[in-house]
Amino acid sequence: MNRIIYLHIKELWLHTESRFKLVAVVVLLGWSVLVLAMVGCGRKPDDPRRIVIWHQMRPDEQVILHRQLAGYMAAHPGIKIEELFKETEMLRSAYVVGALAGQGPDLVYGPSDPVGVYEATKSIRPLEDLFSQEYLSAFDSTALLRYRGHLYQIADKIGNHLALVYNKKYIQKPPTTDKELINLSKAIQAKYGYVAGRPNVYGITWNYTEPFFFIPFYTGFGGWVFGEDGVTPTLDNKSMVDALNFIRQLRDDDKIVPNEADYEIADALFKDGKAAMLINGDWSWAGYAQKGIDIGVAPLPRISATGLWCAPMTSPKGYSMNVNVDKEKIPLLLDLLKYLLSEECELETAKALNTAPTRRSLYRHPEILSNEILQNSLIQITHGKPMPVVPQMRAVWDAMRPSYQAVMGGARTPEQAARDMQAQALRKIKEMNE
Amino acid sequence: MATQTKRMRFFQLAATHLVLAFFALVAIFPIWQVFNISLRPGDQLLSTSLELVPRNATFENYIRLFTERDFLVWLRNSAAVTVSVTITGVIFASLTGYGFSRFRFVGKKAGLLSLLTTQMFPGTMLLLPMYIMLINLGLIDSYLGIVIVYSATALPFCIWTMKGYYDTIPTSLEEAARIDGCSHFTAFMKVILPLAAPALVITALFSFMSAWSEYIVAAQILQDTDLWTLPIGLKSFEASMSTEWGLYGAASIVVMIPVVGLFLGLSRWLVSGLTLGSVKG
Amino acid sequence: MNTDRTKQFIGFLVIPSFVLLAAVVFYPFLYNVALAFGNMNLNKIRDWQFIGFRQFIKIFTEPSQPDFYAVFGKTIIWTVVNVAFHVILGVFLALLLNQKIKGKAIYRTLLILPWAIPQYIVALTWRGMFNYEYGSINLILTKFLGMPAVEWLRSPTEAFIACIITNVWLGFPFMMVVALGALQSIPHELYEAAEIDGASWWHKLRTITLPLIRPVMIPAITLGIVWTFNNLNIVWLVSNGGEPSDRTHILVSFVYKAAFNFYSFSYAAALSLVIFLLLLTFSMVFMKQSKATEGAY
Repeated sequence: MNRIIYLHIKELWLHTESRFKLVAVVVLLGWSVLVLAMVGCGRKPDDPRRIVIWHQMRPDEQVILHRQLAGYMAAHPGIKIEELFKETEMLRSAYVVGALAGQGPDLVYGPSDPVGVYEATKSIRPLEDLFSQEYLSAFDSTALLRYRGHLYQIADKIGNHLALVYNKKYIQKPPTTDKELINLSKAIQAKYGYVAGRPNVYGITWNYTEPFFFIPFYTGFGGWVFGEDGVTPTLDNKSMVDALNFIRQLRDDDKIVPNEADYEIADALFKDGKAAMLINGDWSWAGYAQKGIDIGVAPLPRISATGLWCAPMTSPKGYSMNVNVDKEKIPLLLDLLKYLLSEECELETAKALNTAPTRRSLYRHPEILSNEILQNSLIQITHGKPMPVVPQMRAVWDAMRPSYQAVMGGARTPEQAARDMQAQALRKIKEMNE
Repeated sequence: MATQTKRMRFFQLAATHLVLAFFALVAIFPIWQVFNISLRPGDQLLSTSLELVPRNATFENYIRLFTERDFLVWLRNSAAVTVSVTITGVIFASLTGYGFSRFRFVGKKAGLLSLLTTQMFPGTMLLLPMYIMLINLGLIDSYLGIVIVYSATALPFCIWTMKGYYDTIPTSLEEAARIDGCSHFTAFMKVILPLAAPALVITALFSFMSAWSEYIVAAQILQDTDLWTLPIGLKSFEASMSTEWGLYGAASIVVMIPVVGLFLGLSRWLVSGLTLGSVKG
Repeated sequence: MNTDRTKQFIGFLVIPSFVLLAAVVFYPFLYNVALAFGNMNLNKIRDWQFIGFRQFIKIFTEPSQPDFYAVFGKTIIWTVVNVAFHVILGVFLALLLNQKIKGKAIYRTLLILPWAIPQYIVALTWRGMFNYEYGSINLILTKFLGMPAVEWLRSPTEAFIACIITNVWLGFPFMMVVALGALQSIPHELYEAAEIDGASWWHKLRTITLPLIRPVMIPAITLGIVWTFNNLNIVWLVSNGGEPSDRTHILVSFVYKAAFNFYSFSYAAALSLVIFLLLLTFSMVFMKQSKATEGAY
């Protein structure tokens, strides 16, 4: 092969006109330089003082992480930390594929729900032998994610939960029951009038495409996604039918919600003052306040028929460690983790983002106690239910999504939808285990 | 009679212009939309107006793009990768296409067919084994890895294009050069390659496109933020639940400019180069 | 036949490309073939074994969500409608552009633009344009045409149509350019001769233009079909991963979902192999029937 190339380069040299010689030499030289430069550009993967974190933080969270990491690097010269944002779905699959091939980041940050998948694919390492009992006892128990007998994630935030966000321009006292919610919405809509049959201000809105936003209604009517064993889906029951009927009535009979809304639309309606209330998660609240909207956050109301609170799913967000991390590197990572989970860092985060911290000492901190949004959020968390970590949850989401969307689209009745959800969930779980 | 045909001509012409103008409008409408979004101030990205330029239009997003984000780094990285891929693609495709066009050898038909069949397997499924292989070769997080992958992506189509174009060039040209004492290679370089310029342009353009606008492979291979290319950077504006539409629009426009520029500059060549080789000259 | 020197030269020409392709395409392809006969999934991602044809049997006999045959049917519709529009629009516009008219170069450049925009930008832009409340499509429909707003992304049929519209927009310039190239290579004398015979426009189109551009269009159409069949980007991004209700999937997005959302790698690999064989068979038959490649070998 080399000889062939050599022969032809020689031949080219001897026979071509000088113009072509020039062009060919320039092109080939330029090309070689580029390729060589690229070989040099590759990173040295075994640099022991380089730490890589993958996360799916929103921009405002990223700013804080960035600042905290910069502070850490300044105090620890020689250590280089790289943080890399990946979109939730991409993060999960890229991480699993990377870890599978013996690669991937040192730490992965995110909500707890992919931990089941990471465990099944043996992508993350148990953490219980790395931290002392004493160190761990400073955290709220929900922040320490144990799964199948091992500690797999330590959280710096709890929540990631939905609550009722309202615009104080329209609402002074937030509703505490579904009846109040409906009446209040109707009153607001009547007050601000209609154009071409559409209200100028909708009573309430939320995302109709993601079943995560439907869970509070389901729990409000007494349902839960899994049975006693924590892995068998329980979606086809009266609670489901009632909850689906309830949201359909909100739209079709009470007419207090828009006909169509995904996350972006619901968000935009609320931002533009075209919706008085919104069901959205703790990640969004700081943004509304920054936009100059005078918001209040309240726990989601009680359903009168059952007397139960609408309970959103809560989940800790935190760090897990790659199974491929070298032994020598672990002390380095532990030191960084202890810094990121320190009181100062957690307090800074909580203040900036209105998210609940995980260190118990902070719950009594004056700056946390005086934060109205955060206090209401903590109440909502106590109503909430932890999101299951098992990989089966993924199947449940995927089973619920089509039917939820179909009910909101009018293509399926609640009864049909409930049956379909259950059947699909069972089938998908079976497929996963095959 | 004469005036009648003249009138007919006129109406025909007017209709032609009308239809072409309509489709041209359809073609640029979405691009204008992105441009419009990029000019909107703050977060007023959802608007119910159809003005040509939004109210309170501002270049704020463009300024933020270049000052607050590593946009210049991504631009430089993308440029380096794209130029390498384009040159590699042109060299490989022009050589191999020539081989398939001019010579008979064992496995030629199989080779040509295998090139076609590469387009038939869903590309995303190639990702997992490719990724594992690149890790084993130590090519993760390196431009070399991604240049290899991108060069190969557009190669089958480019080889076919080149082969098709060479087929339209009479072999008598090289034969004459050979009689003059040129070697195979010299005859190819001196006589054929200059004539194949339109097809080379297509090859370059396709290689360029496959590298400039690819996201999925890049996201998997380039993890170091210093190595990011434009599409990965652009995707990072699209955080889980709150897309920064203004920045996204501005970045999209900047990303489009070189490609659109290339297409405009080369559109004449495009037409003559993309014969897919079946018209014998 | 070939002298040693010629053989060396051929090697020099052909081998580098095939080494590259072997690494990036052929090896991963073979890996997938192996996977297709195995049971790699979430729980057996590190220790999968060969299980024979079971994944294939599963694809064809077991019900899936969404249903394989329904997705297959949708893929056929997707491909046929898209390519038909690409070709008809492309040839039609090429015919218009192939006349002597003012501003021809401007029209041509503008009409090529959709081809130049990266697909992920196209997809997200169109998704925004199909938005019910704020999207410009509905604004045009309601404000200028006085038609009711369409819930594009909420109902399966409309969402699928939205994907098709996006892809038609994206794809017609390629066919237009190919057709334009073919039209320009038709000698003018043929038309002149026909005009002397008093042939109508339609007659000239049928007897001269179409037959003469056919040999160029057939390979382009074959390629267009293969590309459209396997175009993941548009469907995935416009419908946001198959919304609503997983009812806008085509086969490749179904494969993507199985592999990267559910980690059923073997199932996805088997499905990919099915797609590959379908397309291979189709192309062989189509190209053979139209005998367009005769000269190409």
